[in-house]
Amino acid sequence: MLVNEMHNQDPLLIGDKTFTSRLFTGTGKFSDQATMVAALKASGSELVTMALKRVDMQHKDDDILAPLIKNGMNLLPNTSGARNAKEAIFAAQLAREALQTNWVKLEIHPDPKYLLPDPLETLKAAEALANEGFVVLPYVHADPVLCKHLEAAGCAAVMPLGAPIGSNKGLKTADFLEIIIEQANIPVIVDAGIGSPSHAALAMEMGADAVLVNTAMAVAGNPVAMSAAFAGAVQAGRQAYLAGLAGQVQHAVASSPLTAFLNAG
Amino acid sequence: MNITVNESVVALAEGSSIEKLLISLDKPLTGSAVAVNQQIISRSKWAEYKICEGDEISLFQAIAGG
Repeated sequence: MLVNEMHNQDPLLIGDKTFTSRLFTGTGKFSDQATMVAALKASGSELVTMALKRVDMQHKDDDILAPLIKNGMNLLPNTSGARNAKEAIFAAQLAREALQTNWVKLEIHPDPKYLLPDPLETLKAAEALANEGFVVLPYVHADPVLCKHLEAAGCAAVMPLGAPIGSNKGLKTADFLEIIIEQANIPVIVDAGIGSPSHAALAMEMGADAVLVNTAMAVAGNPVAMSAAFAGAVQAGRQAYLAGLAGQVQHAVASSPLTAFLNAG
Repeated sequence: MNITVNESVVALAEGSSIEKLLISLDKPLTGSAVAVNQQIISRSKWAEYKICEGDEISLFQAIAGG
């Protein structure tokens, strides 16, 4: 089967939406809006995250929405800035009004240094938001037990981290991501820490359903070219997973016949 | 009448709606969310919801983020 055929026959279903691209992207940290739009188009992403902030009355912000909607991208508002469940629920309700979507990337990180998600508040908020009809995608530690609780709470997917947000350190949590992927009955989207296309490919080879990348694209030397590189890596990783990776062994296993060559004739 | 919008005092004509407020502030209607005295007001009610003297308006806007 050709790569494109495999790609087209392998849609990702989350909540009420179907995605052909398994590369989700953030919109932060790009140097300007034109670069952001060009990079997101190059990535092929169909789901992009956004944040919400209190309006600065003294300044007029750029209209970030129009070019995203024009290019057919689905919006995934986050609750960044929320320090507890109550604030996150309020942020999600505001985002629903602002962006007219019931999808939400639930993130609660009270500590600004490491931006690590608070598991207790996240579970509490996830239960409440799922009961309110939100399509909840929680950003969490790579904690298999927590991910099962979030699944039971009605989350549409889980988004375990590879490493702290914006750190570009890769899949430091790989062993636990594998357990989460093995146990999950909902999509697993590896989020945070993915710093290079090889990290993204590795996550997909492990069986992640998708990855979310922002910083590594936005602050790359050439964000547009890097976004295209990520798109290729995610497709390759997914195809490798579907193809079935060969197992590893400790000793050499010959790829050529070793019999009687030197003694021949 | 005077109201506050994100902690700034704003003078507004009596009986103005949320929609009128956003237009007078030159803020976009799309991508915005509004709370009046900590209660989120649904977008579908912006045209009819009348703002009262002393109301505290919180105005939010979608921005770039990861």
